[in-house]
Amino acid sequence: MKKSQMMTGNQAIARGFYEAGGHVAASYPGSPTVEMLEEIKHQYPEIYAEFSVNEKVALEVGIGSSMTGARTLVSMKHVGVNVAADPLMTFTETKTKGGFVLMSGDDPGMASSQNEQDNRIFAQFANMPVLDPSDSQEAKDFTKLGLEISETYMTPVMLRITSRLCHGRGLVTIDDRETHDIKGFEKSPSDYGMIPPNTFDKQYHMKERIEKLQSDLEQLNVNRYEAVSGARTLIITSGLAYQNTMELKPDASILKLGIVFPLPMSWIRTLSTQYEKILVIEEMTPFIENQIKLAGISCEGKAFFPFTGELDIEVIEKGLAEAGVSVGNPTVMPVGLPEEDVMGRLPMFCAGCPHRPVFDILKKSKNTVIGDIGCYSMGILFPLEVLDSIISMGASLGMIKGMKKAQRLSGTNEPLVAVIGDGTFYHSGMTGMMNLLHQCDPSDNMTIVILNNGTTAMTGGQPNASSSPYGDGSDMHIDMPKLIETMGFDRIKVVDQFDYKETKRIMDEEMKHEGLSVVITTRPCALRYKIKEPHFYVDPTICIGCRSCVKTNCPPIHMKAYEGIEKLKSSIDPTLCVGCSVCSQVCPVGAIKRS
Amino acid sequence: MNIILAGVGGQGLVLLTDMICEVAHRAGFDVKSNDVVGLSQRGGKVWGSVRFGEHIYSPNVRKGDADFVVALEALEGLRWQNYLKSGGKLLMSTAEIYPVFAIAEKAPYPHDFMNQVRADVLVEAHDIQKLSLEAGTVKVSNVLVMGLLAKHLHIDKAIWVEVIRETVPSKFLEENLKAFEVGMQL
Repeated sequence: MKKSQMMTGNQAIARGFYEAGGHVAASYPGSPTVEMLEEIKHQYPEIYAEFSVNEKVALEVGIGSSMTGARTLVSMKHVGVNVAADPLMTFTETKTKGGFVLMSGDDPGMASSQNEQDNRIFAQFANMPVLDPSDSQEAKDFTKLGLEISETYMTPVMLRITSRLCHGRGLVTIDDRETHDIKGFEKSPSDYGMIPPNTFDKQYHMKERIEKLQSDLEQLNVNRYEAVSGARTLIITSGLAYQNTMELKPDASILKLGIVFPLPMSWIRTLSTQYEKILVIEEMTPFIENQIKLAGISCEGKAFFPFTGELDIEVIEKGLAEAGVSVGNPTVMPVGLPEEDVMGRLPMFCAGCPHRPVFDILKKSKNTVIGDIGCYSMGILFPLEVLDSIISMGASLGMIKGMKKAQRLSGTNEPLVAVIGDGTFYHSGMTGMMNLLHQCDPSDNMTIVILNNGTTAMTGGQPNASSSPYGDGSDMHIDMPKLIETMGFDRIKVVDQFDYKETKRIMDEEMKHEGLSVVITTRPCALRYKIKEPHFYVDPTICIGCRSCVKTNCPPIHMKAYEGIEKLKSSIDPTLCVGCSVCSQVCPVGAIKRS
Repeated sequence: MNIILAGVGGQGLVLLTDMICEVAHRAGFDVKSNDVVGLSQRGGKVWGSVRFGEHIYSPNVRKGDADFVVALEALEGLRWQNYLKSGGKLLMSTAEIYPVFAIAEKAPYPHDFMNQVRADVLVEAHDIQKLSLEAGTVKVSNVLVMGLLAKHLHIDKAIWVEVIRETVPSKFLEENLKAFEVGMQL
């Protein structure tokens, strides 16, 4: 018997790439895919792996590697594919050489994303086959299969996986690593130089490879038919929706798809004659359903199953009931469950987070603040409620200019602030930053706050171009203030935000200043680079209960009833406090002291 | 067997889920599990699931179908209790970690959480934080509740100990083994 191991979907994909003799992996960290590349970095030193500056660059690194004949894996979250779309849409025209798999981490239900885009559509748009694993074992198997398909049909392949499967675990069998030689780059300008007329025949290449794959699907053995005798319904499903459906033991046969583009249409057509109806169970858009309908085969799906959110077992059960399909393993709910009015628990800045004083100052300023993507996106949540907008990576810097120009046209020049972290700034903020200087009116009141915390924090603290001073200094090192200065900005303030009063004075002054100014904070991420200072405590006999410290929204601080004191006074949980001192600096009466 | 694990970011829940999966696997079961997706480290609610048996399709546990809810924080225990089947067990830490709404005094923290537990489930609540400190460090809370869970599952103790030895940082091995023992004796 083969050895098996518990693995997350992310770990299984890394393992699959390793076993397939993978050579180069590139990514930009984004939930739910982050741990895949981290696993390769930590477990498989034979593979060259990097977190690139953004997804576009990661994809381009992958293109270069694949063109050189190396087996390549590029991973990103679903919205990352938007960033990488430009090279992707043209790379897909070329005849792929070294196997190329694009892992797209989709997020039905938006557990950690700003939208719910269905990247199966993106792959179809790019004429790429889509593999859709339903557990960790398939995540590994499909990574290997994807590389095979890629080389056989000379196409990039999308491995579409959802959040739940990336993070969920299951048993995976372990195999040895295959050997694949890197053949090297062979010059062929008509194949790799994508300008017309070289692109003309490539349109046929893309069309024909999908048709060829479609006719070969049966041999690939990636789709599975599970017949239930006497069943009058055929369910077509894939991914986790398949596993959730199986839990219910529906009175229906199942066509379980491993590849969702292209579809085994002639097989579906044949099966359709044996059943009264076909039900498609898939998360998000009616991607499979629409393909089947377009082929002239009648089926139903989104009439019974939601177009948004995860398709949990309960959701599928409800849809099946509406569709008239009985289940053998229905949900049995205990009677008299209490109402679920349990207090919510929103995420918040960590104890010692260097963003805290900045957001406290911004909140007090009451200015309009345009946010960006990172931990500081939480500044839009209760109780901070500082940010007024969040769109996408780096967007704050383009948006602030458009807002300002529109403001000026309407005759106002109220202060506008954009807040962006270092990772996001390098990822795609730099272009917007430079654009601020284009046709700049010296009196446009805009303040750009760059939270330079030395890491890409939100996704778990991956290194970026600002991390070098905190490591061994060997990796790339961009001096943020110098970079901004070189771009042509002349009003740049560098602040230590744990000096609360001085930072507040500077930020208030810059936000008042009628012109363009940049504030760069210097404290590193408290999660990645832990603060280990003696904790603070509240002297309840001095505390006046004003809640200035509580309003900084720090995990260890809350109001408490002290024995013998009538009013509630502040308190600090010593096991959670890391000693950053911000609360003691906002306290107006000096009631918070270092232990 | 369906288990829900619940707590707050930073309590070592992902590692706990990992270890229980590994133990069930070594005991010969098919295993699937879920982990929280998203902002786990930033004070938000964290949860995981472990399902094991002869063949497991989905890692998801249905409401009303869990055998155990293991909660490292009291409010999180209440949040997940409706996942328990009648007669299921709620193994709970009495630790109180305030969510932002309680910090901001929008709503009081439910100090009377024991009165809000369902009547049709069995509850075991302990001061896990205090017991962990006694075992050496508050960092071993996760392994201590794992001991509490192990007490109820019929899996050879040697497997649990073996997995702890292979998983936890060697620097804290003794504290972890002690915490597991304390949990099993509760």
